[in-house]
Parts: sequence; structure tokens; C-alpha cells
Amino acid sequence: MLTNVKLNKNMRSVSIVGIGATPFFNGVENPTYKGLTNGELFGHAALDAMADAGVEPRDVQYFFHGSANPHVLNHCITPNLQVADWFGMRGKGSISHSEGCCTGYIALEEAVFAVASGAYDIVLSGCSEQGTGMPDGNTPAFMRVPLTSEVLFPDLDSIFDRAYGRYLGGGPGMNHDDWINYYAKENHLSKETIDDVLAHQAYDFRRAAALCPRAIRRKTYDEMAKEAGYDDVWEYMRSSNNPKMTQYLRTSSDSCVADGAAACIVVPTEMAKEFTDKPVKVLGIGASVLDAIVPHLEKKATAEAARQVFELTGLTADDIDLLYVNDFIGSSAFLAAEEIGYLPKGEGWKYVLDGRIAYDGDKPMNTNGGRTSYGHAFGASGMADIFEAVTQMRGEAGERQVKKLPKRTFLRGFGGAQNVRAIILESDF
Amino acid sequence: MSNERIKTEEFWNPEHIVEKFWNGLKDGVIYARKCKECGAIEFPPHLACNTCGYHETEWTTLTGKGVLKSFVFTGVLNARLELEDRGLKYVCGEVQLDEGPDINAVVLGINKKKAREIEDKLPVRVRPVFYDMGRYTTLFFELDE
Repeated sequence: MLTNVKLNKNMRSVSIVGIGATPFFNGVENPTYKGLTNGELFGHAALDAMADAGVEPRDVQYFFHGSANPHVLNHCITPNLQVADWFGMRGKGSISHSEGCCTGYIALEEAVFAVASGAYDIVLSGCSEQGTGMPDGNTPAFMRVPLTSEVLFPDLDSIFDRAYGRYLGGGPGMNHDDWINYYAKENHLSKETIDDVLAHQAYDFRRAAALCPRAIRRKTYDEMAKEAGYDDVWEYMRSSNNPKMTQYLRTSSDSCVADGAAACIVVPTEMAKEFTDKPVKVLGIGASVLDAIVPHLEKKATAEAARQVFELTGLTADDIDLLYVNDFIGSSAFLAAEEIGYLPKGEGWKYVLDGRIAYDGDKPMNTNGGRTSYGHAFGASGMADIFEAVTQMRGEAGERQVKKLPKRTFLRGFGGAQNVRAIILESDF
Repeated sequence: MSNERIKTEEFWNPEHIVEKFWNGLKDGVIYARKCKECGAIEFPPHLACNTCGYHETEWTTLTGKGVLKSFVFTGVLNARLELEDRGLKYVCGEVQLDEGPDINAVVLGINKKKAREIEDKLPVRVRPVFYDMGRYTTLFFELDE
């Protein structure tokens, strides 16, 4: 692959001035949320973001709708126009986009481009996904049934190149464990050590999710172990209560599918203080995309996207106070942290074992719990991470607030086998 | 006058690259493209070169021989259902072909015992398997022992 992209500074600096998010939840089992539709979810997140920015729908000029799989999950291929009426934007310009589980991060990139170019001043970017269910036949949207593995599993293959890779087969099979396998060999770590590292990581992310009202999984592993009759939580994590799903990953390192939506409002930085006392500037976004047929694609694309954004901003990983990694493959979290330089090369696993990447550690990550605990509403997950990042940077995260108020946050978007984005945010107050 | 107009097919009649690749596998031939500028092999075949970014490539064929550099077993989350359905023993791994290309591939015939034998000997030699999937033939690999 070529690595000769040099990002230019945007024509206008862009800042986030409003954020909104629904909780992540199970929309076919939770009786409180069962029956909600895509327009309602997106609408609530959008109106929350507008309220946070102190604007009304009439003030917003354009919006983006992100969703990983609107067709299968919602029988819909133009969700932007189908949700617009829900939050007072009938007749205005909008677009739908879909980049698998990276959608929510690309949603910010799209909005930044729209404002940075000068085309618009007030843009909403939102993402919504109803990952737990699917339409109950040809019926109104509130009628949904659980998403079955018979539908989901074959459809998951649609993220892999249909010309070659899907049918040559290796890429889809390597998707989950390629990097952790490479890392274990490179650092001479036993499978037991890797198991222990991943258990500790899941444990600490769940501690954060337990304190996050929008997270789908809030019961700590200590509580779960006790309920299952284990005095030692680590014994529980190694037990059949937490079975292996791949060669390396147990259930605790697998994403928890959810429904949910999140949104943000972006404006030119020069106007940001008109909307909020605590604007967050988007310093830059690096991008790299590799199909799953490429060996070690996640490592390569993460390195390339990070290189671009660090080169653009002149920053290094030492300047980053907080990190989010889309970790629907649980091992991605600390591996990407190393690749970016947030954790030292070859030593990230020790940081995990020592609890240093926990929300209350000195190298905090995924303070909402990440995909394994906050939940994974596919296309909406990235925007939910942006919601959490801005919340932390404002110092408004309550019990899970990181120790040092973050000045700069890095988000590593990932998904769709695989799009990667590397975003750096900076508080501007 | 309308009879003298150029037909669409006369100015745009591209080769069917994907179709040629899969039909080649049926005949036991592995098609690839070679960059006309840097000489890198583009595999599987595409229009342009992803190694140097030059726009033009030409046909070549590969032996299908190479080395397996790393591999993983799949589990319930990432099993290749089309292989499980056939009862195949397989791993997914990084295969580097002798002509240069490096891809994630399926390697047949490796069970846990064999995996333990070869794990510390990587990279190990592999050879192609042209596997009949019914409506198409695909390319897997096996250990070249």
C-alpha cells in the first residue's frame, strides 16, 4: 500500500458545539424501548444535540444520516429523507452514508468537510442503528422482531469484497484474531497471558460502563462472578460462563449488539463560542481503508491514519490525554493504543493488566465501556464515542470522569472490513 | 447518418477480469496482473497497481506456491460456514506467494496436532488447492510436505 497522503489544513477550522445521544439498548426485548423506530431514535439524538448547541431545527442548514445497514435492519436505503421530518428539517439538504461500523466516525469527517469548505455554517451529523432487530415483514416500522443469526451471519459477509476476498475466504476468517495472534507471537506472550490481558481489559471497561447511564451492559464482572458462585472474578472470566468465541476472544471481548443513536452539531470554530462556552475543535482526521484480504490490515490502516493526523497537527501521542478505539473486536482496544503510540510498543498488555487504561487509570481509554460494554449499535457506535469524548472533555462525565481533564482526545474509528479513521479533538476553552 | 455512428462496444469493450480469474481457477490456472511500470504482481487481479499506484497492468499467471507465515483457527464468531458445512479442517492465515503477493487465505488440512508441529517452523511451504465449491472453483492452499 502507498503511504504518500499528506493532509492539508481545512479552509475553515471546525468545532463541535452540540452533542446528543440515546442510550444503547435492546430494542426488541426492553419493554420501555420496544417499538421505537429509526426516525424517533435519530430525532431524539438530533434534537438533543440541537438543544445542547442552543439552536432550533430551523437554524440547522444540512444534515448527515449514518447507518451501517439500513437495508437489512430497516428495509430502507434512503434513511436521510425518511427521518428528516422527525426533527423539523423537511426540505433541507441531507445525505445518507454507510461505512459499516466506522460510520459514526466518518459522520464527523463528513460534517467537518461540509463546514470546512464554507458551504454550510451549522451542520448536524447523526447516526442511528437498530442492531438487535429487523422489520417484522412488510409492516410499519414499529413492528420489529429479533434479528436472527440465520439473517445476520450470512449478511455480515457483505462487508467483504465480493469479487474475490469473500470467496477466497481467508480475510473473513482472519478478521477477528489476525492482530492479536501477530502481537502474541511478536511479544512472545502465551495464550494464557493474552487471555488474562483481554479479561482485565473487559473488566475495566465494564467498570466504566457500570457508571454510564447510556451503556447497555452495566453489571460488573464482580457482580456476575458472585451471582455465578465464583469468589475469584478471574476464575469466572476463564470459565465456561465466558466461552471462547474465536481462538483468542471470549464473550467478554465480543461486542454487545444494541439499538441507539447519537448526533453532533458542528460549526466554524470562529463562531463556536456563540453556541457554547465549551466548544471542542476538530484538529484533523486521518483516513485509511484496506479490504480484509490484506494481512494485518487493522494494524497497517491504524498506523497510516494516525501518521496522517499526527503529521497534519504536529502532535504526537504524548499530547493525547484520552483515547477511544472502536473495539467490537475486543483486542483492538489496547493493540490500537500501542499502534497509535498512546501505550508503549510491546508493553500495552502490561498497562492493561495494571488497570492503567481504565477510566480511573493514568492512560484512560473507552470511558463509556466501549463496544463490549457500552454496546454496539453498528453505525451509531462511533458517534456515541464522540458524544462520550466531548462529555469527558467538558468535565461532565460524573462518576466516570477521568482524573485529568482531557485537553486532547484521539478516536480510532474502525469498521466495514475495514475503514479506519484517526480523529484528534481539542478542547477550546 | 445514424448508421455511421460509432457503436458503444467499439470504444468501450473491457476485459472481464473477475470472470477470467474465477474461470481460470476452474482450469487450474491462477491469473494475476503485473504492473507495467514497477513490475509488482497485483493479486487478485485488478485494473491498476496498488504497489506503486501506476495505472496499467498486464496479465500474468502464478504458480500458487508460497509460504504460510501465520495462521489462526476460527471459532463460532468467525467460522467460514461454507467450509464448516463441508466438514473441512482449515485455518485462515497469511500466505505469501513466491511471486510476491501477500494475502489472507484458507489453508486446508491443518488440525490442532498439525498446528502444534508447524507453529515454531513458520514460515512453511504451501501449494495451491483448486477447490470445487459447486457453482465456482476457489483457491485454497495446503501444506507442501
